[in-house]
Amino acid sequence: MNTMLDERVDELLEYVEEKCLWQFFSRAWDRQENIDGVLDQTANLLAGHAPRLATPMERLFYADAKIMVDDLHSRFPWISESGEAEIRQLLDGLKGRLVENVITKSTNRELNQHLY
Amino acid sequence: MSTCEMADVKSAEVTLAPKARAGVINPMYDCQPAGAQFAGIGVKDCIPLVHGGQGCSMFVRLLFAQHFKENFSIASTSLHEDSAVFGGKKRIEEGVMVLAKRYPELRVIPLITTCSTEIIGDDIEGTLRLCDRALKAELPDREIHLVPVHTPSFKGSQVTGYAECVKSLIKTLAKKGEPTGKLNVLTGWVNPGDITLLKHYFAEMDVAATILMDTEDFDSPMLPDKSIKTYGRTTVEDLRDTANAVGTLALARYEGAAAGEFLRDTHQVPHHPVSTPYGIKNTDDMLRKIQEITGKEIPESLVHERGIALDALADLAHMFFANKKVAIYGHPDLVLGLAQFCMEVELEPVLLLIGDDQGSKYKKDPRIAELKRTAHFDIDIVHNADLWELEQRIKDGLKLDLILGHSKGRYIAIDAKIPMVRVGFPTFDRAGLYRKPTIGYRGAMELAESIANAMFTHMEYTREREWILNTW
Amino acid sequence: MPMVLLNCDTDIPERQKHVYLKSPDDDPATCLPVANAPTIPGTLSERGCAFCGAKLVIGGVLKDAIQMIHGPIGCAYDTWHTKRYPTDNGHFNMKYVWSTDMKEQHVVFGGDKRLAQAINEAFDQMPDVKRMIVYTTCPTALIGDDVKATVRQVMRDRPDVDIFTVECPGFSGVSQSKGHHVLNIGWINEKVGTLEKEITSEYTMNLIGDFNIQGDTFLLQKYWDRLGIQVISHFTGNGSYDDLRSMHQARLSVVNCARSSGYIANELKKRYGIPRLDIDTWGFGYMTDGIRKICAFFGIEERGEELIAEEWAKWKPQLDWYKERLQGKRMAIWTGGPRLWHWTKAVEDDMGIEVVAMSSKFGHEEDFEKVIARGRDGTYYIDDGNELEFFEIVDLVKLDVIFTGPRVGELMKKMHIPYINGHGYHNGPYMGFEGFVNMARDIYNAVNNPLRFLAAQDIRDPLPLIMPERLREAA
Repeated sequence: MNTMLDERVDELLEYVEEKCLWQFFSRAWDRQENIDGVLDQTANLLAGHAPRLATPMERLFYADAKIMVDDLHSRFPWISESGEAEIRQLLDGLKGRLVENVITKSTNRELNQHLY
Repeated sequence: MSTCEMADVKSAEVTLAPKARAGVINPMYDCQPAGAQFAGIGVKDCIPLVHGGQGCSMFVRLLFAQHFKENFSIASTSLHEDSAVFGGKKRIEEGVMVLAKRYPELRVIPLITTCSTEIIGDDIEGTLRLCDRALKAELPDREIHLVPVHTPSFKGSQVTGYAECVKSLIKTLAKKGEPTGKLNVLTGWVNPGDITLLKHYFAEMDVAATILMDTEDFDSPMLPDKSIKTYGRTTVEDLRDTANAVGTLALARYEGAAAGEFLRDTHQVPHHPVSTPYGIKNTDDMLRKIQEITGKEIPESLVHERGIALDALADLAHMFFANKKVAIYGHPDLVLGLAQFCMEVELEPVLLLIGDDQGSKYKKDPRIAELKRTAHFDIDIVHNADLWELEQRIKDGLKLDLILGHSKGRYIAIDAKIPMVRVGFPTFDRAGLYRKPTIGYRGAMELAESIANAMFTHMEYTREREWILNTW
Repeated sequence: MPMVLLNCDTDIPERQKHVYLKSPDDDPATCLPVANAPTIPGTLSERGCAFCGAKLVIGGVLKDAIQMIHGPIGCAYDTWHTKRYPTDNGHFNMKYVWSTDMKEQHVVFGGDKRLAQAINEAFDQMPDVKRMIVYTTCPTALIGDDVKATVRQVMRDRPDVDIFTVECPGFSGVSQSKGHHVLNIGWINEKVGTLEKEITSEYTMNLIGDFNIQGDTFLLQKYWDRLGIQVISHFTGNGSYDDLRSMHQARLSVVNCARSSGYIANELKKRYGIPRLDIDTWGFGYMTDGIRKICAFFGIEERGEELIAEEWAKWKPQLDWYKERLQGKRMAIWTGGPRLWHWTKAVEDDMGIEVVAMSSKFGHEEDFEKVIARGRDGTYYIDDGNELEFFEIVDLVKLDVIFTGPRVGELMKKMHIPYINGHGYHNGPYMGFEGFVNMARDIYNAVNNPLRFLAAQDIRDPLPLIMPERLREAA
């Protein structure tokens, strides 16, 4: 079970790496904010809930998440068959991997400069 | 009065003055280091090392690439902030060593300074001595000549920078030895097509010449073996032997004559400055001067070439060119030389724009004195000029039939709908001009024909007496 | 070892940290090239200076501002006639450049008076122009001219003009990139929020990091017009000085070139709460995603889908025609930085092209994170590549086409590799749907150029030249 989860997280990660510029914003806090914001919105949409659109940032995360959700549906048929808990688990896994890749283990020397 | 003597038809006014404004809008020239780089790439197995910010070499390489449609190797010491504070000595030392190690054929490195490094005040000569010692220690089998070239950008222009680098190369490398019987030829800033033509003249006259700088291969081929041969052909040995020549023929007053004076004063090489051979008479004078120095006859073949050119010019002059008003801008030797050429073919060079501030030198230029003697119309010579000066005068009502100048003024001609023929440097918006001579009999002929064709095209597009050409 | 020491770099082994050859099992933590680091002197690097990053790349694009360069003549001369960014007012930005033409006496006694004089003259000569950017250069920075004080004085004397000062001498930073940064941060600090413009649409955005190369901005503007989006400011393609003072009024910042202009988008987010949306405007897939995201943000998805459907119907068949004929062609991208990651996957997906080598002049590590995530295995990723490295890489990868600048392009020509201008384009625009068809067409024409086959032939060779029978088809 865990292996399949890992494999699916790998597939999702590959998709995000290839497609999503929001993971590579200039600073660690921006990356964290985007990863949390977009993936939370994604989980929300995948679960069939209405998007949260109260603030400009929520609208932004929705814009990125909406495209991602459409892509995930067309690329990974299994996503439509996954339950909300499973999706949450998948996206948490993805979040962990992304944080590791683009924040924790990234050797980008600018990530923690306090000014832009 | 003999028939071939020019008569003073009326006393026309020829004025010489700097532009009135302090700042520049649309410059005519680049700065000194750019000119120095152009001289430096004319040497074989040589990579100029520009001591300054990276833009000082990167853009100049781009400029050369635009004009010649070729790539040239020029290095930078990549001056960064720390060097601005602590001095750039280390950058020079590292740059020289990196170049020497990675380019095994390299024999000459001109170290070209810029505004920043002259202000910082790096001890160039001292640092190069250290570099020289380091090279001898690390690469004992190599002989690499380091040439200091001082070209702060806040003095002179690309014109003086070119002259300074030619002089520095000779100053560092020329060495007294056995006489070579060869003639040094300081060409000034010309095109590969001009170099080809000069070589042809020397071959026809059977004169052995050292071309400084030999840029003929700046027009270089695409070859089956993919080799790249785009580089200067003047060698270290050529430069060394400039001290042992029968004389120096300086074809450009502002672009290299200083090197001839140096050779005269230091190595007793006779110095023969002539007017740059634009037009028939200047070319005549040059060939006679070569004959005078070397004792070689001017051959029949050149009489023939001269005749071909005159024959072509005669078809154009009084029918199409007479009374046509011309503005010329560019290097001083080019502008003044082309003004003389214009007079020969009945064009009227009413506005001459020269882009730097050597005003006191221009006053003594014999070509300006000649224009004063011969012009039957008013001529404004503006020095320290920019291209806005030309644009503004046109907007203020100056009527022109032709503009002669380089590509950076293209929009003036385009907007004012005035025919323009590209001459000088750079001419990136026309194809292949670097291959064509502008000097010599052939240069005069080809330039006149380009002018005529530009006028003809203009007549046709504007329906301005285009029917004249219905039969010609 | 994922980082590669090329043969030509034996004597400068520190270059190994800048050259990466991607393979599938690499740990990302050990394979990010070091970037935005000092250049090694004498390497024949491709980099320019900070001043040019500010003037030539960003400020000089504006269609209605005088570009006053306080320094010796070369800095002005060299950053003029080197770009293809037209404007809708007759290319004022490409026609003119201004210099204080600093001379020795100004170095000795200070250049402030000269600057004031040149500024006043420029406004007098061009009375219709009321906006100006003043740039310092290496010498004016070194002698310590108080440029801002001079500019303040002029603005007091001439209440109808507005002037922005950029202090980034060529030696600051390690490349053009520093100049982008200084201009971005200076502008947000001093000019954003100083003018309110009329809002004509519910949907407002800034379009950041597109410089109207061969009309990119014009082409994209048609999309925004069709979507009913008001572009408050273009940073800076066909841009106007005053529009950029109103950037704070937009609801969204859309960023294409994150390298040159990401800073101002970050600051707009931090200071004004304007969200930053990064998109790619080159490529069908990317452009489609970009339009969808913008429309999703504003809640105008239907308009977006309509536009996308129309554009695809019109241009996709043409793109596919080229794609079929460009399958497996091998391409290199040697440009500034962002185009590496904008293009590598786009040309692969949309044209079937493999990008096998890429070099960036001024990209940061962030740019390499992006391009390595998107790029192929077996591809070289190089920071601040130099001439000898290029020769070696070309031998290693075998190319059908290269996107780079004119100078390197001339070098490649000698090696029978067709070049396309990766900065100014050959026959663009290249952005958007139509633009990507233009780009595909230029590549198709380049790789099928008969001359490169002819060049390979030695006429002394007894074997006759074998040319492909039909290089090209009617498009």
